Amino acid sequence: MASKQPFTDSDTADEAVRATCDDASTCKRFATSKGYWTDLYVQYFVRQIGERKAPEINRGYYGRVRGMNLLIDAFLKKTRCDCQVVNLGAGLDTTFWRLKDENIMPKKFFEVDFPMIVARKIHHIKTKPPLSKPLIETHSTDSLVLDGHSLDSDRYCIIGADLRDLPALEEKLKKFQINPELPTLFLSECVLVYMTPEKSSKLLNWVAHTFPTAMFINYEQVNMNDRFGQIMIENLQRRQCNLAGVDVCQSLDSQKERFLSAGWESVKALDMMTVYSMLPREDVARIERLEFLDEKELLHQLLQHYCICWAVKDKLSLGLSQIGF
Amino acid sequence: MTEHGSVKMAEEEQNASAEKLKEKANNYFKDKDYENAIKYYTEALELNPSNAVYYSNRSLAYLRTECYGYALVDATKALELDKNYIKGYYRRATSNMALGKFKAALKDYETVVRVRPNDKDAKMKYQECNKIVKQKAFERAIASDELKRSVVDSLDIENMTIEDDYAGPKLEDGKVTLKFMKDLMAWFKDQKKLHRKCAYQILVQVKEVLSKLPSLVEITLKETEKITICGDTHGQYYDLLNIFDLNGLPSVTNPYLFNGDFVDRGSFSVEVILTLFGFKLLYPEHFHLLRGNHETDNMNQMYGFEGEVKAKYTAQMFQLFSEVFQWLPLAQSINNKVLVMHGGLFSEDGVTLDDIRKIDRNRQPPDSGPMCDLLWSDPQPQDGRSVSKRGVSCQFGPDVTERFLDQNKLQYIVRSHEVKAEGYEVTHSGKCITVFSAPNYCDQMGNKGAYIHLRGSDLKPEFHQFNAVPHPNVKPMAYANSLMQMGMM
Repeated sequence: MASKQPFTDSDTADEAVRATCDDASTCKRFATSKGYWTDLYVQYFVRQIGERKAPEINRGYYGRVRGMNLLIDAFLKKTRCDCQVVNLGAGLDTTFWRLKDENIMPKKFFEVDFPMIVARKIHHIKTKPPLSKPLIETHSTDSLVLDGHSLDSDRYCIIGADLRDLPALEEKLKKFQINPELPTLFLSECVLVYMTPEKSSKLLNWVAHTFPTAMFINYEQVNMNDRFGQIMIENLQRRQCNLAGVDVCQSLDSQKERFLSAGWESVKALDMMTVYSMLPREDVARIERLEFLDEKELLHQLLQHYCICWAVKDKLSLGLSQIGF
Repeated sequence: MTEHGSVKMAEEEQNASAEKLKEKANNYFKDKDYENAIKYYTEALELNPSNAVYYSNRSLAYLRTECYGYALVDATKALELDKNYIKGYYRRATSNMALGKFKAALKDYETVVRVRPNDKDAKMKYQECNKIVKQKAFERAIASDELKRSVVDSLDIENMTIEDDYAGPKLEDGKVTLKFMKDLMAWFKDQKKLHRKCAYQILVQVKEVLSKLPSLVEITLKETEKITICGDTHGQYYDLLNIFDLNGLPSVTNPYLFNGDFVDRGSFSVEVILTLFGFKLLYPEHFHLLRGNHETDNMNQMYGFEGEVKAKYTAQMFQLFSEVFQWLPLAQSINNKVLVMHGGLFSEDGVTLDDIRKIDRNRQPPDSGPMCDLLWSDPQPQDGRSVSKRGVSCQFGPDVTERFLDQNKLQYIVRSHEVKAEGYEVTHSGKCITVFSAPNYCDQMGNKGAYIHLRGSDLKPEFHQFNAVPHPNVKPMAYANSLMQMGMM
């Protein structure tokens, strides 16, 4: 029997990163309960609606979800769904189920996260018919292939892996029939920032050199050099949560540069303040009426410190670089 | 038994169990225990997911808990399962109303009327909805506060007993003393709770004191006297203690004016407000409090104070806080030269000090008008007035400030209400000053706090900045609805 590994600092760090999965899902659970947007499936991953979040947080998540969905849907449309989606650090995300409902599913939807997160997600999927039914419906046989750390079906696959171990990641994706020749959309939301710049750069490099027609959408912090950024870093440190990759989050330029130097052809980036201002006005007006926000500056600071950055490689010349807001 | 038969029987058994769970949920609903009602409707649905009634019932439970998004989803699901289920339309209409989707709500009522043309109730609901849609905007412009009986009448403070094992501060002969205040601050610093009897005593007494003040308080600083003006403190108790450390405890020779927004957002609002009220009782002529937009029911419900009081004390005590807040004065003039208010100036020209004096303030602020403006408006750099970004009151330019000061023979105004990176800001060529005293606001903004020294000799503002101090790692309002979240994760 192998001897037990001592509890290392990196275990603590990884554990803290895994905990952020719950931050995101509980915030989305709360915001959807208040009507900011519709997500029929998050309730099956997060049982209770839980504690209230401040209005600026709800609006911030609204911007994030709407912004990401806009770009995701645009990629699916551009490729006529003849594509793949890989959600890195997907956590308890429900995008697959949304796409199934809206009939805009890619050929296959891959999710990757730490094995412990994946095990939790598989458990939820297994035990909740609203989650498993869509998978079974889109699968050619009556039962899904699953074990503790992976679940594979024709259109949806979830893999336990460490994004810092690229050979293992590649092997697992290939095992579950990823097709590097197919246009592929990569997603990461508040994921790269928890890796060192070296590690995330290797990841971006690997994607660029393995998938000739691809788009990578990254949502995370930006403009971190100021007081607000400093406080955020300190607050997170108190939770043992280390923004190991925060150096790349200095500015929109540094966020773009990381893609260009990793072999991507073109890249765009917008801070969330800008993204928020470009979302359909009527729906923004609707959500702003849901809860009164007492101090706009709190929302502005939040939005200015997050960005969406999307990079493109377009061997098939599909016009992917036209995708935007 | 055939396989089909046994499957059918199993299904019937399941449906029967589901019905039982629904009954359980209904009972919880009758008892207003909506959390449990939702739980058991959910379990019923897990056994029988094609029952429209379960979805409709759960939708109503979600409406009661203000989860309008889920209420809508459930109502929609109920209608998918049974498009003739009238209650489903009603539920969906109510959800849509709450979500601001008025046209959608009206459509559902129209559907009911179409399906049931002879149903008087349906027609009535449609007309009501139509009226409500028109009245919603109307209602916002009209604020009617019904006359309420005071909580004070139903309290028997005299006969409240303090347990033997209570080791905290008590009023001395029913009065606030300096010793009491020092003990209180130390007690609070240690995260301990003041006995409810003492809290009630303070509230009843301070309500009495505040109710005797005019809406515009006028004070005079003699040549040798000074005053310290602080802005928003927002429940940041440890930063308030720091202000007293840096600037000295309040006293007759060290007067203070706190310019509103004492509570909400920060996790120690109860400690802040009881400390400020205590000093008001100790030095009524030298310790001044003005009302902020957060000394109102709507804000307290949303931003934590109500939850904090309910968790630490009772709903009744929150009611009393609400009554006390209504008596806080709205503005203060110093030597007839400097005017202080929480928000700012007015949506219309021509408001005089006398107009302010005459405001009947013992109420929740209306949606517009001078009382609303005093609590809500903001300065802007450009001349004229604009619609406020806040959605309430207005933004006013340097020309508005100039005209107001001229007409009322004042030199400048001091206000708060907006977080500033440096803790203060001077605008309108020195005629409009903002002071904000909650450093690192919400544990996130990284801003400095500031306070202003004003001397009777020259009335020139002297700014003092300070940084945030550590506070106990209490999960903000862990006992109530927490507002603490560090951003996107």
